[in-house]
Amino acid sequence: MSENIQSSEKKKFTISPQVTALLLALLLFLASGFLPNGFNSVDNAINQAFNILRLSAFLALIAAGQTLVIISGGEGIDLSAGAIVTIAVLFTYKFINGDNAMVLPVLFFVVACGAAIGLFNGLGIAYLKIPPFVMTLGMAGVVTGALLVVTRGLYDGKVAPIMTNVIARDLVWGIPGMLFLWIIFGVFMTILLERTRYGKQLFAIGVNRLTARLSGVRVDRMIVATYSIAGALAAFSGFILVGWLQNAGLLVGNQYLFPSIAAVAVGGTLLSGGKGSYFGTMAGAIVIQLITSLLTTMQLPEAIQQIVYGSILIVLLIVYGREKGIRL
Amino acid sequence: MKSITLNAQSITKHFGGVVALRDGSLDANSGEVLALVGANGSGKSTLAKIITGVIDRDSGEIVYNAEPVVFKNPLAAHIAGVTAVYQELSLVPSMTVAENIWLTHEPLTRFGQVDTRKTVSDTRKLLKLFEGTYQSTLRPNAVVDSLPPDEKQIVEILKAISRNPDVLILDEATASLDSRQVECLFNLIKEWKEQNMALIFVSHRMDEIFRIADRAVVLRNGNSVGEVKIAESSEAEIVSLMIGHESGLGRTERARLEIADEIALELIDLKTDVLAGVNFSVKKGEMVGIGGIRGQGQTNLLHTLFGNKRFEGQIKLFGETMRPNHPHAAMKKDIALVPGDRATQGLLLIRSILENLHLPNWQAYGIPLNIRKATSDANGISKTLNMIMESLDAPVSSLSGGNAQKVIIGKWLLRDPKLLLLDDPTKGVDVGTKAEFYNLLDRLCGSGTTILFYSSDDQELIDLCPRVLVMQDGFIKADLSGDNLTKANLVSTSMGAGLDAVNNNTVVEHEQ
Amino acid sequence: MSNKVDLQEGWRNFNRKNTYVLSLIIFIITTVAYLLLQPNVFDEGVISRLLTSNFRTWLPVILLAIGQTIVMLGGGLDLSSGALVSLGNVILAISITSNEEPWFNLLIVLGVVALGLIAGFFNGILTAYLGLQPMITTFATSFVYSGLALLILPNPWGNIPREYTKVYRNTSWFGIPLALFIIALILIIWAIIKNRRYGHFLLAVGGKADAAYYTGVRVRRIRISTYVISGLFASLAAICYTLLTGSGSAVSGAEMTLSAITAAILGGTSMAGGSGSLIGSVLGAIILGTIKNLISLSKMDSWYRVLVNATVIILALASPGIINLIRRKK
Repeated sequence: MSENIQSSEKKKFTISPQVTALLLALLLFLASGFLPNGFNSVDNAINQAFNILRLSAFLALIAAGQTLVIISGGEGIDLSAGAIVTIAVLFTYKFINGDNAMVLPVLFFVVACGAAIGLFNGLGIAYLKIPPFVMTLGMAGVVTGALLVVTRGLYDGKVAPIMTNVIARDLVWGIPGMLFLWIIFGVFMTILLERTRYGKQLFAIGVNRLTARLSGVRVDRMIVATYSIAGALAAFSGFILVGWLQNAGLLVGNQYLFPSIAAVAVGGTLLSGGKGSYFGTMAGAIVIQLITSLLTTMQLPEAIQQIVYGSILIVLLIVYGREKGIRL
Repeated sequence: MKSITLNAQSITKHFGGVVALRDGSLDANSGEVLALVGANGSGKSTLAKIITGVIDRDSGEIVYNAEPVVFKNPLAAHIAGVTAVYQELSLVPSMTVAENIWLTHEPLTRFGQVDTRKTVSDTRKLLKLFEGTYQSTLRPNAVVDSLPPDEKQIVEILKAISRNPDVLILDEATASLDSRQVECLFNLIKEWKEQNMALIFVSHRMDEIFRIADRAVVLRNGNSVGEVKIAESSEAEIVSLMIGHESGLGRTERARLEIADEIALELIDLKTDVLAGVNFSVKKGEMVGIGGIRGQGQTNLLHTLFGNKRFEGQIKLFGETMRPNHPHAAMKKDIALVPGDRATQGLLLIRSILENLHLPNWQAYGIPLNIRKATSDANGISKTLNMIMESLDAPVSSLSGGNAQKVIIGKWLLRDPKLLLLDDPTKGVDVGTKAEFYNLLDRLCGSGTTILFYSSDDQELIDLCPRVLVMQDGFIKADLSGDNLTKANLVSTSMGAGLDAVNNNTVVEHEQ
Repeated sequence: MSNKVDLQEGWRNFNRKNTYVLSLIIFIITTVAYLLLQPNVFDEGVISRLLTSNFRTWLPVILLAIGQTIVMLGGGLDLSSGALVSLGNVILAISITSNEEPWFNLLIVLGVVALGLIAGFFNGILTAYLGLQPMITTFATSFVYSGLALLILPNPWGNIPREYTKVYRNTSWFGIPLALFIIALILIIWAIIKNRRYGHFLLAVGGKADAAYYTGVRVRRIRISTYVISGLFASLAAICYTLLTGSGSAVSGAEMTLSAITAAILGGTSMAGGSGSLIGSVLGAIILGTIKNLISLSKMDSWYRVLVNATVIILALASPGIINLIRRKK
């Protein structure tokens, strides 16, 4: 029936979303310099920049798994990421208990837990056809419930010195160790998305699952794998987070959840799937972090942050998210 | 019905950067059937959709009974008395036949409730119009989803006619119908003509146009290029208007290649949800056509061989039994499928041409992926297929129909398949690309690829394939080749009659 | 051959019209189990007391589930309804503190209802008119609404006059509580609307929107109307919840959204749209509430409660998927 494959397209923005995000970040950063608590000197500005980057790094780490599931399409989203981060933080804190030797084993254990939770998500979504939103939200409840059972509201533990040194302190030339970690992580994520068969197939199932299947992609396995990886990445972020926080908390992960979704969206990843990049998420995380810091400096209540995140997402959706199709 | 005139004048429409209509014009009058003819991409469906309010036009006028009108949506067109029959497009699968037919103009009781009893009885009356041409599955309370394609199409037609339109547009409405149903429809059309209805008949099928239409308007590349009176015209004249130059309808000479003796594919009692026991074998390097009326299991057969359907029975590939349970497994055996619906089954529209070409092949390029090699391989295949594109990084949605089809074929050719399955691959492809495509298939056969080619175009099957398997009701009804392979035999065996029946003009009883 | 077709068609139509059969069965099982665990269940007034105390607590989620069902029938999803409950709840809590000016109080209540309608209209414009994806869009608006709620009332507080809360909590006729009458009224209204053209249009839009469009159904308007209705029910739920607890909290509705969706899915409403029933969703909400009661009654360690409840929700969400999986394997 269709004579052309092309459908009605609205005017496209010519600047890529990632570049827009970076420019926006730069603008916001400079603007923050003009506030009362702004830059006193170049040194001061560089310090603040590093600080912002470091904070963004954590957000971007948590947003990594989110990036993957959103690209995978099918209204993909991972609302259990916050709970997984929390449980990872608590386990890391408790089981390392200040012992450097425990760092690697605990890392593997925590990542495996995250992957297991993600595996459940993936199985429910792929084989039971439960919508991702509902499945991951329900799973978040289960993880939180399990947390309560295990901790009974109390937690103890200690950070390992090596983690503190690498993550919380500066490593080389005054640049925080966290940033090096982030860059390596970013390279890894970009290779995963752009230079592996997994990445190519991920974009494919995000665009059109039928075409993917008819080209030999095992869609269900990809979905399960993606949510498992997302769970593992969230757990990994929680592990790293302990190095920064030097502490743990019962609601630690939740505050990152919505901002992580906003970061992915700001970074140009289509919320309908099939298009996006981790580089964009990194840029988006910086933007979101700047906004958060701005709001905190202006001493606005946390409620305002929530309203702002929600509004940003709505604006982004309106600008980038309109579905193609017949006028309905 | 009142007498009306409907004129479309110089309608233009573009989608994104592509112009679908440059100068679409037609005149429809009460009491006659106007055929709207054109190759795919000519804009005829777009014009029909603009007239019935489904799409906005960019410019141009529609004049209805000497007054310019704008139909903002289908409802406005309905109210004005202009209704269209599409191909299954306007049926809600989860609702019943009766509910679908009367949607938006349901009879109401005194209290404003839908009068269910009346909708059912009125539906029965409408079903009588097609009496004898459908099976017992078609009843007012049947859920549309459970009906076969031809009965769904009948519901579409009844739905349109239930509004008593002054203008009725039939957009490829006969595609899913069998010949008895088409006959019935044409008789109804003749009655409606006498009742002063104006009919616009959009079609690809020359024989039907010459049976039912009074006049024909031809569109080519978005322009109305001519109008003829059917009684005074000929198939050749219309075809030349469509293509733009004289073209013979004769059979193209194709070099008949020698076929080896090795059996490439053997099917033994293959059964699926649609197939009822398929048996045949194909030699290596053979090009076998699959024909028959649409929806008889042809696509199902191809998808089953590609591992996309559950099946019982045996499939033997080069003597080895195989049970593909996923396209991935079929691919491993060097089988390839070019699916019937490009946009929804064969392409990743927003991704690049490069990615589309390599989607099944990435494991050949290592970790991390060797993009340079992938690019050069892609360039190679695009030259071989003569693809016209901006660059490999452009999204595949920027390509025309023919070039997009080349991408799909290219992605499989990169794997050097042993068995190539084609599901109506030349649908919506321009004439030039078709010719390139036929040559490509011949070359592939010559180098040992076995090809199964389903086409809804009987003439194409005859021109291209030395052997055609005709399917009906999930069976292979006939295996035609050599002198038996004639259009007449193709048609008659599609309807279930024997090879000689066509000479006696018998109509086959619809099997229960 | 004709008999087999009859049977198949009959079964298919039965399934189509009676999607709530599964939830009915589970409802009976859980309710019987619950009643059996009550001491002296057949003594005078005990059933009435149980009905009253349970249904007044369940009504907010039931109302939310009803609104959600209507949106889902139309093929959409409203993830902001719980946040709207929170917002309505805090507005009522800070405004209605005495019964000395009943007209003022009534105005506030009407204001909250209007807020629900407007918020629903906003959701509808974003999804139906601008064509944004319902899930992520209403997820985003939920953050705006709950943020507003947090802004208005950062810490739980409230003092709804006893006169008002008593009416909601304790009114009953013939042993049947007010809440149950409200539910029955809504179901009756729906039964009437369902067989008007609107009901048919709704199922058409949810079943296959472009088919409905080609037929001339005003798809956008229908979709927007479903979100407005969902907003309305969210306001009603906020009012009931405020009367129930007598106070306000910015997170009061936070968990309700998931419960409402789970109730609808448990009741047989399809996430794809076009099929489902309000009765099923009501039963689904009752089932979830009954199971929560059963968990409380059991001698379970309180630390386990959250986990068990969450697992119940996952199982409820998985139920249609598991059933389909079994059907497909056959």
